[in-house]
Amino acid sequence: MPASNRYDAIVIGGGHNGLVHAAYLARAGRKVLVLERRPRVGGAAVTEEVFPGFKFSMFSYVVSLLRPEIIRDLDLPRHGLHILPLESTLTPMENGDYLAAWADHDETRRELYRHSPRDAEAYDLYGRLMHHMAHAVKPILGMVPPDPTSLSPRDLLGLLRLGRHFRGLGGERFHALVKLMTMSSADYLDEWFETDVLKATKAASGIIGTFLGPRSPGTAYVLLHHYMGELDGVFRAWGFAKGGTGAVSEAIASAARGFGAEIRCDAAVARVIVKNGRATGVVLENGDELAARVVVSSLDPRRTFLQLLDGNELPDEFVADIRRFKFRGSSGKVNLALSALPSFSCMPGVGRHHRGAVSISPSLAYVERAYDDAKYGEFSRRPYMDIVFPSVIDPGMAPPGKHVMSIFVQYAPYQLNGGWSDAKREAFGDAVVDTVEQFAPGFKSLILHRQVLTPADIERITGLTEGNIFAGELALHQLFFLRPAPGWAKFRTPVRGYYQCGSGTHPGGGIMGASGRLAALAVLGDGR
Amino acid sequence: MNAPPGRFDAVVIGAGVNGLVAARYLARTGRRVLVVEPGRDAHQSAEIGWVPPQLVRELGLGAQLRVEQLDPWITAPLQDGGRLELWRDPAKSAEAIGRISPSDGQKWPEFCARMRRLASVLEALYVQPPPDVETREVGELLRLAGLGLRVRRLGKQAIVDLLRVLPMSVAELLDDWFESDALKGVLGALGVWHLKQGPRGGGTAFNFLHHHVGCPLGVFRPHRSNVKELLLALPGVEVRQGSAVTLVRGGRATGVALGPAGDAIEAPLVVSGADPRTTFEPLARELDAEFIRAIRNIRGRGVVARGTLRPNHPPDFSTLCLAPSLEYLERAYDDAKYGRNSAHPYVEARAVNGQLELHVQYALAADRTLPERVAAALGGPAQAAQVTLEAPEHLYHGDLTLDQILFMRPVPGWSRYRTPVEGLYLCGPGTHPGGGIAGAAGRNAARVILKDAKRS
Amino acid sequence: MEGQAWRRWAGYVVASSYELSHDREYHAIRNAAALFDVSPLYKYWITGPDAARLLDRVVTRDVAKCKVGQVLYTPWCDAEGKQIDDGTISRLGERTFRLTAADPNLRWLHLNAAGSDVTIDEVSEQTAALSLQGPTSRAILEVVAQTDLSKLKFFHLTEATIRGIPVTISRTGYTGDLGYELWVDAAKAVPLWDALIDAGAPYGITPAGMLALDVARIEAGLLLIEVDYFSSRHALIEMQKSSPYELGLGWTVAEGKEQFNGKQALAEERRRGSTWQFTGLAVNWESLERLYAEVGLPPRLPTVAWRTSVPIYAGDRQVGYATSGGWSPLLKQYIALAHLEAPFAQPGTPVRMEVTVEHRRKQAEARVTKLPFFNPDRKRA
Repeated sequence: MPASNRYDAIVIGGGHNGLVHAAYLARAGRKVLVLERRPRVGGAAVTEEVFPGFKFSMFSYVVSLLRPEIIRDLDLPRHGLHILPLESTLTPMENGDYLAAWADHDETRRELYRHSPRDAEAYDLYGRLMHHMAHAVKPILGMVPPDPTSLSPRDLLGLLRLGRHFRGLGGERFHALVKLMTMSSADYLDEWFETDVLKATKAASGIIGTFLGPRSPGTAYVLLHHYMGELDGVFRAWGFAKGGTGAVSEAIASAARGFGAEIRCDAAVARVIVKNGRATGVVLENGDELAARVVVSSLDPRRTFLQLLDGNELPDEFVADIRRFKFRGSSGKVNLALSALPSFSCMPGVGRHHRGAVSISPSLAYVERAYDDAKYGEFSRRPYMDIVFPSVIDPGMAPPGKHVMSIFVQYAPYQLNGGWSDAKREAFGDAVVDTVEQFAPGFKSLILHRQVLTPADIERITGLTEGNIFAGELALHQLFFLRPAPGWAKFRTPVRGYYQCGSGTHPGGGIMGASGRLAALAVLGDGR
Repeated sequence: MNAPPGRFDAVVIGAGVNGLVAARYLARTGRRVLVVEPGRDAHQSAEIGWVPPQLVRELGLGAQLRVEQLDPWITAPLQDGGRLELWRDPAKSAEAIGRISPSDGQKWPEFCARMRRLASVLEALYVQPPPDVETREVGELLRLAGLGLRVRRLGKQAIVDLLRVLPMSVAELLDDWFESDALKGVLGALGVWHLKQGPRGGGTAFNFLHHHVGCPLGVFRPHRSNVKELLLALPGVEVRQGSAVTLVRGGRATGVALGPAGDAIEAPLVVSGADPRTTFEPLARELDAEFIRAIRNIRGRGVVARGTLRPNHPPDFSTLCLAPSLEYLERAYDDAKYGRNSAHPYVEARAVNGQLELHVQYALAADRTLPERVAAALGGPAQAAQVTLEAPEHLYHGDLTLDQILFMRPVPGWSRYRTPVEGLYLCGPGTHPGGGIAGAAGRNAARVILKDAKRS
Repeated sequence: MEGQAWRRWAGYVVASSYELSHDREYHAIRNAAALFDVSPLYKYWITGPDAARLLDRVVTRDVAKCKVGQVLYTPWCDAEGKQIDDGTISRLGERTFRLTAADPNLRWLHLNAAGSDVTIDEVSEQTAALSLQGPTSRAILEVVAQTDLSKLKFFHLTEATIRGIPVTISRTGYTGDLGYELWVDAAKAVPLWDALIDAGAPYGITPAGMLALDVARIEAGLLLIEVDYFSSRHALIEMQKSSPYELGLGWTVAEGKEQFNGKQALAEERRRGSTWQFTGLAVNWESLERLYAEVGLPPRLPTVAWRTSVPIYAGDRQVGYATSGGWSPLLKQYIALAHLEAPFAQPGTPVRMEVTVEHRRKQAEARVTKLPFFNPDRKRA
């Protein structure tokens, strides 16, 4: 085999985690090759000019949790990363009123006060407690999960450290954390607030990417994510990347190349070569074989283990665990090219609220009903939507005077009754624009082009199993040392030399990059 | 009965199984104990469920204790006619299940074994006060370590199961194992038993295991026993009728005011088997605001209407379960979620002396048409007029959800039967280990009380 | 010139000073009269048979003893005896009180009202408050309200009408001087302001902002929440919390009261003694002069009161920190408010305060001083 084909590491998949992983390995002096199936890197974080002049962050849409240490370590701003803050959230209500959260805390407080003086007060206390909780959880996101079933001194020590960490929180916070980990977001919020639309809008953030409703236990935990970013000295954690989420991928790719990594697009991997229980390289779909000391998959667990490997290379129990790992894509995306910004009847005209998100979550019952549809295999007739207008903040996304509108839609179950078809896709798109129209009359006449992406489309284009944007549901029993399978949450796999680094591993989810980074540290640690 | 006025060493509020057990343990130490029952027995549920063997032994109930052993323990009609019967013998059940799904029948013994092992972990946890995870005391740390070791001894699979299963929904758990709707309906119903959750709600797998506690391998319904009858028959504890409110002076319990006249009964120790809310609401002004907030935040929504039905023909089953699928249960829950009684409720009917005792879920309020719907669901062996249902009440004094169990029950920081009022203890199903377990809370509470008494 | 014209206060924007410098406004407080808009205070209207009982449960002072027409200054605590907030309680009737607070407290009041027959209304937006402070404040009010205020005692209130506007006048304030606060329907606040400015002109009335107020309240030794102490609700760690005893407010704790939030903890603290004390510091001028002389400069003084944490030393270690300080133009002293470890908090104890002299950290000698620094007879007379 020619020397040029030998690598220290081959990373399968050029999504953001794969790229972060490759960048860290290359930065440590490893010879790294990234293989991406599609013509461009990014995976689910890509920007594409879907319609002439109109660019979209195709799948994911906001950059929430990209780890600041990654931005610093990889010097991403030098490679073009610029995250612009999302300035507000507007929730139109069915009675024509609205609830707004603005960048200015006092202003938000006064707005809440308008709805309920008690909630305005509780909001501050709630925020403070959540800040505490985020502080408590953060170290967990940054640690390799110890294996509670293992008796190795290292795991026991890890468990002990974890135990001490939790005990160090003190009673009140520890109990709050237990509640957050186990309750439904609606129940948790009920303990704090009385304003339904406030609870609905907060709870909606707890269901993104899950196949759960606001009344399903286990959704409260996701409420924390909103407070994570603040700990890193970022005042407002939610934002757009200039140039769309694809620009994030491009920046990471550029950083990786800068460290010497090689990135090959249009290079789909057919399978991983395993010899004597050890991964030695990969076979491309075009038949080429590439050798490497380690192979790292950034794909989701199902493809990492069930598609890239022969089943008989893995223990049965492990295969059963991976088969049990749930994806259940539940969200779709509608990308619109608009001739002008829509006017919402609760806040007519064009205003600063277009610089932030518009949340279609007028009440808890509304969101819960949206879930009910999905529970029985239908897309939501009136879905929860998170709408942003990236072209308002980043004018480069649309021709002058025109706009792009990005609508994250939930629920659209992957397992639709009768399966997804072109007709179903359009019906789903109609349900979305019709619902928006109810809150913004006249909106439909502004639509120049429409792209509707169902979980089936997301799977087809990005490869993400069942179109789950988190590469595996973020449910309590699929987190931490259970992600993706008990005993194999430390980025290693039952096959020596084969690693996993995608969002399907701890801590997973969102454009965070933490899995890619932690996995790189694991690979580098083993290589020592 | 005209009891002499004067002092008692302890007053126990509520003559439910837990209250009686606590009273009994206190009386054993020579204390003069009065049990006050605020009227209608509100704790019937406690007669259903596991009677811990420690309790049976210590109170000497062994000889007379009768635990009902239904066989088959459940009967479920099948959609296409016929019925699924599950038996005390797992092999016999496996055979019955195998007739509707060979693969499910094959998995049954393994499923039963795995669930039994997990339930045994809970059994160990339930016969002692909840683990105090914040403790710095050596003794408690050792106990925690002991529990940890006990779990570890069960092996890697059990640990993984425990961690994975507890936060799960019972639907996910059952979908992992089985394909038959009828089987999953029968089992899933236990996951939502007395809970305002659908089978797809996280934590319902725990509720399932909780109610498997004390059951033999392969039986997934809590059993009844005559434990309460036996406890009432034991001598040495006086029982009076009447509502009772704890009297507090200077942060200390001094006795109870016995309704309706409000006669004061003095006692340095008050043990309440009543709902924590009922216990503390009258004391709200004396107590820390955050504590009251926590008490008020206890979620305990009555979702079960109980009643009786006189059938036209003698029933040919011991317990009939109408929960034909997980989806059926989930849809029944959907109604409750939006504040309505289920249009198509989950119904379980037990044959007792020619009558049917009904468990109807989800029922949030008395509803005129519910009996008709129940009768219709039971397929006409009954006349609608003969169905009587009581308004739903919450027998468990707090839902058994993951945020309200162990050291979170009844409220965080006060899970070990003590309360902010000195001399006032809790011992009802609102405390660890909760409803559906007969007497464990009463016994745990009594042990804590006696330990505290020794210390002071 | 300060150039910071506005600052935030409880979600409102208030004037830091109405002129480029606050000097004249400060001197008006001590020499004539200054008018402040203190409307951003949170105000609660508490009524009902259990109103006094609720307040007694919440605050440390004995509200039952408060007579109609009397005002109490009081802190309130959590169950651990750590201070949540401080404010005033005006008893407007047997069963009617107005509580003012620096922070929102509606939720806390509601939590404590469990089981009580009481109504709690937040009237922050409906009620405006103007504060008229200074030696000529009484004369101005007597003219404009056409009433005799000589009988209105310190921390008492009375009803009055000012040019047709009904107001409640309380003899209270945040300056430690003779002064009054006027409570009025928010819609009438602007005409009331104009009336006062108009009538006060011959008495040297000056609109004044927060900068002048800050100097005055430090001289008066009055606490500012989020500056001199953290609400226990806002504290991120235990160390950030303080008890009334630690804040020099031990006199407000009515130990004999039946039951109130934090009672046990406070009794325990009193028994055991507090770890911290809140006290005044006066910086030794000669010492300051020497430090500046070392670099060839005359002493430089802060032009506005500061609100940063400044270390205090005794011997070779830090024994506390100052939280507010500044130059008192009246006392001609550099003064500060500080938290000190109890053994160092005795008046007269020599300590050292960190000062930055030409970019370098130095320690100026200072002496622990009893609060308030300035307490004119006219305040109570």
